[in-house]
Amino acid sequence: MTLQRLYKLVKTLAVILVGWTLFAQDRVNPDSLIVQDFAKRVNDYMNLQKSLAKGLPAPKPTPDPQIILDHQGKLAHRIREARRHAGQGAIFTPEISKEFRRLLGLAREGQNDAHIKKSLERSEPVRLTLHVNDAYPSDIPLQSTPPTILMNLPALPPGLEYRIASHALVLRDATANIVVDLIPNAVP
Amino acid sequence: MKRSVFILLLLRGIAAAAKALGAPQQTIGPALKLPLKPNSVRFAIIGDSGTGEPPQFEVAQQMVTFRKDFPFDFVLMMGDNIYGSKTPRDFKRKFEDPYQTLRSAGVKFYACLGNHDHTEELLYKPFNMNGQHYYTLKIGNVEFFALDSNYMDPPQLDWLERQLSGSGAVWKICFFHHPLYSHGKFHGSDLDLRARLEPLLVKSGVDVVLNGHEHVYERVKPQQGINYFILGNSGELRPHNLNPSPDTEKGFDTDRTFGLIEIAGDEFNFQIISRTGATVDSGVLRPRQKSK
Repeated sequence: MTLQRLYKLVKTLAVILVGWTLFAQDRVNPDSLIVQDFAKRVNDYMNLQKSLAKGLPAPKPTPDPQIILDHQGKLAHRIREARRHAGQGAIFTPEISKEFRRLLGLAREGQNDAHIKKSLERSEPVRLTLHVNDAYPSDIPLQSTPPTILMNLPALPPGLEYRIASHALVLRDATANIVVDLIPNAVP
Repeated sequence: MKRSVFILLLLRGIAAAAKALGAPQQTIGPALKLPLKPNSVRFAIIGDSGTGEPPQFEVAQQMVTFRKDFPFDFVLMMGDNIYGSKTPRDFKRKFEDPYQTLRSAGVKFYACLGNHDHTEELLYKPFNMNGQHYYTLKIGNVEFFALDSNYMDPPQLDWLERQLSGSGAVWKICFFHHPLYSHGKFHGSDLDLRARLEPLLVKSGVDVVLNGHEHVYERVKPQQGINYFILGNSGELRPHNLNPSPDTEKGFDTDRTFGLIEIAGDEFNFQIISRTGATVDSGVLRPRQKSK
């Protein structure tokens, strides 16, 4: 390879890298202070959940559903007690909510919008008003969260998930089956 | 003349729709259409089963009847395993009781989550999910990939890509709840899921995809080489809810069904059976890499 061709290759790679960085910044930018703040709040929640789970037997596969439900119920009770003053916005602060609305808007750009709308329509949308510390009712389906939305939101640690209930984006602790926080009217 | 052409076309249209819906080709009775080859992988599939209502028990009874002639080892569950509330009584009434005879005979069940299932099912040992939203199961020359289509996030897609690319199985079979292709009137295809998942399935040589969610039976003509089965009527049913399209290979929407599958070498033999024991669809598929 001549020096000139090597120079051209490096130049092309540099352009691709800069382009990719700019594109990535349009989506979730993990270096953004707002996303960092969100990650810290989520991390704090997970640390609290882990500390509250101490003393409870570690959940493991069992043929007795009562054992699973007991663990879930006890953990949820402890979380509710520890977070009894936590209100809406404890994790989704106004700044974080604003950034999430921007990311949700980006997820619905172009062709994705129609796909997401169809997917939401076809996954048995639930009409349900939830509040922080509520349990997600076991007899109501969990609407699937469109993959394109999940691709555009900050990653969550295992056990936490984004769910859509009515038009709200809900942060749900799946282990304890409890609503950690939510953004109302986040999804059309 | 014009009227006779119109009537002829109308009759041909009705005949095509009837063929797609399977009505004239049903056979009654426990007539097995599977080859029972030695060392084959034999299993059953059910979907949207967990109602606890009499039709679920009747389908389960047909499974017991057919197992006498076709001794399958395990059952794949396409999700909506437990509808409604999730008390221990519900797990008994909507799963343990209907399939008691099969479970007593050592038949294992492997589940994936539907939208009516909650995460406590992950730890319910009889569903063999071991606390995982997604997992693989390798039996003989077949590898099954159980996915959680309720929550297809980047970590799951990355995991699936790694698992599929590392799999040397002759048959790669994915099963999950929401269909990428469906001509059910109630739900239809999940377009966003399809946009994210299908390229990976195509690229990685997946042969067959098994789904539920739509409360009918439908076999879709191969899409980019992949065969799609939707079987979401082992407990629930939406009668006359299928809107057959040119992409519908076969459909059945007037009763509940379950499926029997036998994989022997490069043959995927299937038989779909109704609650009354009628065969509503059967055939043989070949793996993608060998049909090219």
